[in-house]
Amino acid sequence: MPPKRGRPRRQVQVEAAAARAHIDPELIAKRTKRHLDELERSNYTESSTLFASADDEDQDRGPAARGRARQTISDKREHGRKKKSTMNIRTAVLYRKNLATLIDESGIAALPGPTYLTAAVPPPNEPPRLICSVCGYWGKYKCKKCAMPYCDLNCEAVHDETRCERRVL
Amino acid sequence: MGSPVRNKNNGAFTIKCGLTNSGDSSSPRLVTNAVVRSKGDKATYIGHEFDRCRDFSSLHYRLPFEKGYLVDWDAQKAVWDGIFSEEVLRVNTTESSLLITEPYFNLPNLQEVYDQFVFEEYEFASYHRCSPAALIPYGNLYGSSSSAPPECMLVVDSGFSFTHVVPIMGSSIVWSAVKRLDIGGKLLTNQLKELVSFRQWNMMDETYIMSHVKETCCYVSTSYRRDMEICRENPRKNDIVQEYILPDFSANRQGHIRKAEDVGETDQILYMNNERFSVPETMFYPSDIGLQQLGLPGAIAYSISLLPNDVQGMFWANIGLIGGTTKIPGFRDRLLHELRSLAPIDVEVIIHTAADAMTEAYKSALAFARSGDFSSYVVTRAEYQESGSNASRRRFKDWKSTDNEKCPDPYPRKGKAPMQESDDERISIPTRGGRARNRTGPSGQRRR
Repeated sequence: MPPKRGRPRRQVQVEAAAARAHIDPELIAKRTKRHLDELERSNYTESSTLFASADDEDQDRGPAARGRARQTISDKREHGRKKKSTMNIRTAVLYRKNLATLIDESGIAALPGPTYLTAAVPPPNEPPRLICSVCGYWGKYKCKKCAMPYCDLNCEAVHDETRCERRVL
Repeated sequence: MGSPVRNKNNGAFTIKCGLTNSGDSSSPRLVTNAVVRSKGDKATYIGHEFDRCRDFSSLHYRLPFEKGYLVDWDAQKAVWDGIFSEEVLRVNTTESSLLITEPYFNLPNLQEVYDQFVFEEYEFASYHRCSPAALIPYGNLYGSSSSAPPECMLVVDSGFSFTHVVPIMGSSIVWSAVKRLDIGGKLLTNQLKELVSFRQWNMMDETYIMSHVKETCCYVSTSYRRDMEICRENPRKNDIVQEYILPDFSANRQGHIRKAEDVGETDQILYMNNERFSVPETMFYPSDIGLQQLGLPGAIAYSISLLPNDVQGMFWANIGLIGGTTKIPGFRDRLLHELRSLAPIDVEVIIHTAADAMTEAYKSALAFARSGDFSSYVVTRAEYQESGSNASRRRFKDWKSTDNEKCPDPYPRKGKAPMQESDDERISIPTRGGRARNRTGPSGQRRR
C-alpha cells in the first residue's frame, strides 16, 4: 500500500516545484499595478464609506429629499448667496466623471503634439533594485511562491506568515 | 489696475490664495482643498473650515482632484464658495479679476469647465489661467527682482499628485520637453502609511497623522547604502531612528518627536527607522515600488536632452525647485549630487530653491498680477459671453498652442489636414463648428 501512493505524490511535488520556479510576469505586473492604484487612494476604506458618509447626512432630511434633485455638498453652505447656477455648472456639479472617462472624452489621444498621455517619464534602463518587502533592507532572495524579495530567514518567516500570496499550484 | 485681483494657486491638496491689494503681505492664506469628515468631531469641514477641526483621527477626505486633475466639481465648488465668502477673502467676484493655476496638460474639456465656473458661476470681470511653472519667470526664484530672469530655466514642480519637469525658454514653456513623474506627496504619505501599518501600528486610516509624520521625520538620504546599513545594525538605537510620539486627541495633544526629557508611560511610540529615508527615496528610484519610470534626476536629464543642443548648458545651470514635496530635507543636495554625475562634464549644475517652495508659485503669481501688463493676458467676461471658451483658448498659451511659434496665424489648427479638423470638432464649441460647416458646404456641392 505505501509504495503505491508514494510515486504519484512525488510526481505531484516535482510538478509543483517546476510550476513554482516560473511565476508569470503578467501576474506580477498586475499585482504591481494594483499596489500602485492603492497608493493613489485618498482614503483606505474608500468604497464603503463613500456612500455611507453621503447617506448618514441625508437621513435627517427624510426620503422625500432624495428625489430627482440630488443635494450636493456645495449646496449645504449658503454663504449668503442665493443664485441659480447655469446649466453648465449644474451638469458639472451633479455628474461626476472619473479621470479615465474625462481623458477619453477630451480626445487628446488623437492630438499630434505633446499631451498628458505622452508626457510620462520613460522607464529606466537599469533593472529595479530589490528591497526586502518586510524590513526594507536589500532583498537578496525571492519568495518561491510569489516572487516578493526578502533579506534573511527572519523576514522570510514573517513574509510566509503574513504577506505571501500562497498561490496554490 | 483699480479692481482687486484674486490670486489662487489651486493645488490638489492645498489652495494658496490671496488678494493683490492686501498691502505688502506676500504670504497666502492656505486652505485645505478637501471636504473632510471627522468622526471624532462628528462634523464635516469644507475647505477653510478645516481649521476648526479638533479631532484628527480617522479623517475621511473627499478631494476634488484625482491624479492631479479636477474631477469632483461639487466638492471644488463647495471649497471655492467658502473661499470667496465673508469667511476668507471677502471678495465681490463680479468686480474682481482672477488669476488661477491649472495642472500641466490640463484636459481641454476640463478647461471649459474652469471657464464656465469663473464666468457663469462666479461672474468674474476677467481672468487668467495658466500652469504654476509659467508664473515662475515673474518671481524671485532665480535671484532678485531687479535682475531679469534667465533666458532658460528648468522648473521642477513636485506637488501633492505628481512631479513635473518644466523647461521654460524666453518665458514660455517648451511643452514638447515637459515630463511627468507620477510621484507626489500623496503617494509618499500612502507608502509611509503602508510600511508603518505592516511593521508597527495600523495607520491605514490615519492620513492626516501620517502626513505630519512624513513632514517631521522624513529626509532624503545622501547615501542610501550607508544609511541602510546604519539602520540594519541596531533597529531601535542608532543615529537615524526617531521616536515619534503619536498624538492623543482626547488630551488635545499633537504628535511630535520624542526628546530626551519626554517620559510618558502611556505614550504610543512610532519608531521611524529606515522609513525616514526609504519613503522619499521613491522619488529617486520609482522602481523600488514597481513604478516603471525614471527617477527625478533621470527625468531632468531626459527632459534636457529633448531641448536644442546649444542651450542645454543653460538649463543645467538654472534648475529651480517648487512644490511642497521639494521641501523634504536633503532633497536639493541629493538631487544636485545625482545630477552632477548625469550632466556633461563641462556644464555647471546649479539648483535654485525658494524660502518656501510651497508658496513660491503664489508669490510669483502675485508679482505677475501686480505687473502692468497683466491686463493684456486676461479674458474678460464680455469676451466670454461673445465667444465662449474660444476666447480663453485663443488668449491663454498652454500645451495646445505649441505650434504657435512656427505659424503666427492666431488659429493655427484650422489650416491643418482634414483628419485633425474632425478631431477638433469633438471638443469644439459652436463658433468653430459653424465655420467648419461653412467650409465643407461649398466643397460638397462641387463634388456633386
